[in-house]
Amino acid sequence: MKIRNFCKVLILLTVFWISAGFAQPSKILIVNSDNSVYRYQTIATEFKKIIQQNAYQVAELNLNSHADAETELKQLIQQENPGLIYTIGTKAYLLARDYTHNRKLLFSAAINWRRLDIAEGTYGVANELASAQEISLLRYFLPSIKTIGLLYSDKFSREYVESIKKDALSVGINVVTKAINEDKEIGDALNGLLPKIELFWIISDPVVLSNKESVKTIFQSAQQQKKPVYAYSDVYIEQGAVLAVSADSDTIGRQSASFVLMMDKDKVSEGTVQSPAGSTITLNKCVLDALRLNFNKDALDSINKVVGCEK
Amino acid sequence: MKRILSVLFIFSVFVTGAYRSAYADEGPFIYFYNPETNINNFASLKRGFDVYLVDHGGYLFQPFDIKETFESAIQGKKGDVYLLSNWHLKALQQKNIPLKIALVGTSKGNTMQRKVLSAKKDITDVSMLKNTVVAGAGSEEYIQSVLKQILGKDQEALLKDIKILIVPKDIDAIMAVGFGMATAAISAESSLEKLAMINPNQHRELHSLGVSEKDYFLIAATLKKPDQKEEQLLEVLRKMPDADAGEENLRMLGIDGWRALQ
Repeated sequence: MKIRNFCKVLILLTVFWISAGFAQPSKILIVNSDNSVYRYQTIATEFKKIIQQNAYQVAELNLNSHADAETELKQLIQQENPGLIYTIGTKAYLLARDYTHNRKLLFSAAINWRRLDIAEGTYGVANELASAQEISLLRYFLPSIKTIGLLYSDKFSREYVESIKKDALSVGINVVTKAINEDKEIGDALNGLLPKIELFWIISDPVVLSNKESVKTIFQSAQQQKKPVYAYSDVYIEQGAVLAVSADSDTIGRQSASFVLMMDKDKVSEGTVQSPAGSTITLNKCVLDALRLNFNKDALDSINKVVGCEK
Repeated sequence: MKRILSVLFIFSVFVTGAYRSAYADEGPFIYFYNPETNINNFASLKRGFDVYLVDHGGYLFQPFDIKETFESAIQGKKGDVYLLSNWHLKALQQKNIPLKIALVGTSKGNTMQRKVLSAKKDITDVSMLKNTVVAGAGSEEYIQSVLKQILGKDQEALLKDIKILIVPKDIDAIMAVGFGMATAAISAESSLEKLAMINPNQHRELHSLGVSEKDYFLIAATLKKPDQKEEQLLEVLRKMPDADAGEENLRMLGIDGWRALQ
């Protein structure tokens, strides 16, 4: 009788321990490409805030702090045994993907993730907004623009440009494109393109933006023909872009954390890569006024930064 | 090295102290904090408002992104005006802070708006939001309270199983549903109208799962009944839509004018 009771207690205890083990969120290893980069630091901070609120344990590796980051990563994985590795930046992803050993991997802030070799069990929050988001936001701020133009290289951006055309068409915007093979073609391509369009869109294409001279040519030509420039990053505002729309870093961190919580509830399909859910908008009012563009005043409350003519 | 550090320390204390004392002598101020938005546009707001207000009575504008810091500013002297949400005002009144509504913000002639919980049409009722992400702009506390109100007593228990994703603005929240980053979104009714204008296909895919009660856009309040100095400042605020620069500043706050409460 005593042995039977003892066995019952033992079974109950085992069930308790097992269920407690399952309820415990797993440990997450954050691999940050460079935590001295403000954007990466912001993503990590917001991610940790939510993850730790939900009782996850966190270990961190900042690649910029270690001469031999690869060895450090291997040791840390062995020591901490994380259930998931969260990478911030391309460098961190490229290093961590070889050491996941069947663990889940979630990447963020990896530039143009479609060009990366994505293994099974990998999830992500993209660095760039979806083309449909960018077009919708452009339409929100500058509703009168109906024809936009862009330069791209077939080798790097063909699929992206195809999606832009499709998304733009669905909201009534016509996209005129011109493919180039090398930066020397930019001047002639712009001369042909600019007269046909109302706004020029700078996309993140490595051939079009291969050097400072190319960027200078774009802005000089656009200014001469009085065409506004829409950009994917606010670094182009100072050079004369009228509007820049990019992904919001805080939101990428929070979104990545929500992603992890949903993954642990089996609410995310394997291999899902989400577009960033938040945007940061910069408006160059100096250029806007100079070109007398029709700006949607109702959208002013959605602008993060208004840049005036004063330097 | 130690000597350099000591000099730097003394210098920083002096600079901060001098700045603070100079700052304390300025004003009166218009203090702003709004938990219903999450846009980090404070530098542009401050510059825009200060340029306008300095020319209209020498007032200054001070936006806050931390609720507690804003609340500690309210405990101060009479003479300042506070721009805040009605939701926040009610919470402060419950803490016995004697804020009194002086003006309410208007947008296209309205003073009130409702918040909508919207999702794609395959989410047929709120119970399907269990273990999903709901996007919204504003503080998490505010989004939780709106969600609680929309869910009602019957579905209130769902709250603990819903993950809130805070995004910078309403339009991000609604688009997050369309692009699959969230299952549902909390946004103002007017933001859904904006989506219908900029992306009608995405708007057609959405439907409403519930709405909140109507509430004011933005409030201009004073500590107790406004005195003569505060009345002057409120008058400057009220006249802002008459000038282009003033109207532009108000639009950055999501309103286009002010109205006195009857």
